[in-house]
Amino acid sequence: MIIVQSGPGEMHSGRALRTMFEDRKSVFVDLLGWDVPVLDGRFEIDEFDDGHATYVIVADGSGDHLASARLLPTTRRHILGSLFPQLCADRPPTGPDIVEITRFCLSRRHNSKERRNARNQLVAALACHALDRGIRIYSGVAELAWLQQILAFGWDCRPLGPPARFDCGFLGALAIHITPQTPALLAANGIGEPADQPVLSAQAA
Amino acid sequence: MFNRVEVFVRSICRLTNEEQLAEALDSLTAELGLRYFALTHHVDVRRSGDAIRIHNYPAGWAEWFDDQRLGSTDPVHRASNLTSVGFAWSELERMLPLTAEDRRVLDTARREGIGDGFTVPAHVPGEAHGSCSFACAAGEPLREDHLPLLQLAGAFAFEAARRMRRLRLAPPPVMLTDRQRECVIWAARGKSDWEIAQILAISRETVIEHLKQARDRYGVGRRTLLAVHALFDGTIGFLDVLRR
Repeated sequence: MIIVQSGPGEMHSGRALRTMFEDRKSVFVDLLGWDVPVLDGRFEIDEFDDGHATYVIVADGSGDHLASARLLPTTRRHILGSLFPQLCADRPPTGPDIVEITRFCLSRRHNSKERRNARNQLVAALACHALDRGIRIYSGVAELAWLQQILAFGWDCRPLGPPARFDCGFLGALAIHITPQTPALLAANGIGEPADQPVLSAQAA
Repeated sequence: MFNRVEVFVRSICRLTNEEQLAEALDSLTAELGLRYFALTHHVDVRRSGDAIRIHNYPAGWAEWFDDQRLGSTDPVHRASNLTSVGFAWSELERMLPLTAEDRRVLDTARREGIGDGFTVPAHVPGEAHGSCSFACAAGEPLREDHLPLLQLAGAFAFEAARRMRRLRLAPPPVMLTDRQRECVIWAARGKSDWEIAQILAISRETVIEHLKQARDRYGVGRRTLLAVHALFDGTIGFLDVLRR
């Protein structure tokens, strides 16, 4: 498992992970009503939370989770390829430089301004992480209710196939192309400005 | 047909102005068997010079629409503010109560030759609501299997228009200080100056000053409007006001 953590709380990776799994339960189970496993009544953890997942986490000064995304390699079982391949017009994109974004999560414990700041930091951190690691494309399954906001970050998104309705919502598959120009595209939308430019550190746990 | 939408998405990335986008939307619309498109912010376009609006509706329709000041009251626009995924106009009745005036608007549109349609809402926090609609010529059927594609095309087209508008102008965002913002949240929750002073442990005069400066920044004279503007542009959220 790799945790790429950003923000002042980067020394507390255990705490960031624990509060992230708690916030994921609060968001995906309590708020959105997803039918996903809950561990101990507190943590939303599923089969993809294994040693191959990478977490990009924005944490506050005490190490508590503010925003996060789980990245899954597309060279193994992942959500688009395994659960929703029908959302792709062609075969779901896979490869060592294609990584899937899943469980994009903002803590509900904060007000809208803090949540938006944390979201912006997370998006900027995802772009940095991709450039650092040679990731060329982020793929992902998105609820269409969020599509306009995902596009409004300003990065280069492409649809992978026609959206479709499922019990869990109206879903579509997207590819986000990351290039050296991506940080500037995000900055034009106020994302990743110097003030909230995250400091990244990676560690294996 | 997905390939056609994919090509559309790729091509509009490179466009730089609304006329080109209108052309691209016009040909996509025709190829999907529809007649009209309208991509717009839900505001009175004549009074908001920087609002987005491109369309290929019949010539008289846009003028009539503006004369009636329908930008923010049109039933399709109102319904679009209630949802975040696309809807067919045939669902309007189920989405919101239609007034006699609403029915008059819908009848007039039909007389102008605008038939069944599908609207993709476009909500970006901190910006005016908008949408991208597609419609058939009156009497022609709206193809159910094209609706997911229209959803994609509408969302990507709106983002392209947003990018073009940003190139035209970069509006300075209204910024409140944290303290002003807190005062606005409590004012939006119906607290008086004195109550806000007690809650924040500051003097009543300071609260009055914070709220006055916040009103000045938005250029509004009343605290109700201040709260509405701050909610609208995302400076405060509905949950800030409604929680507990």
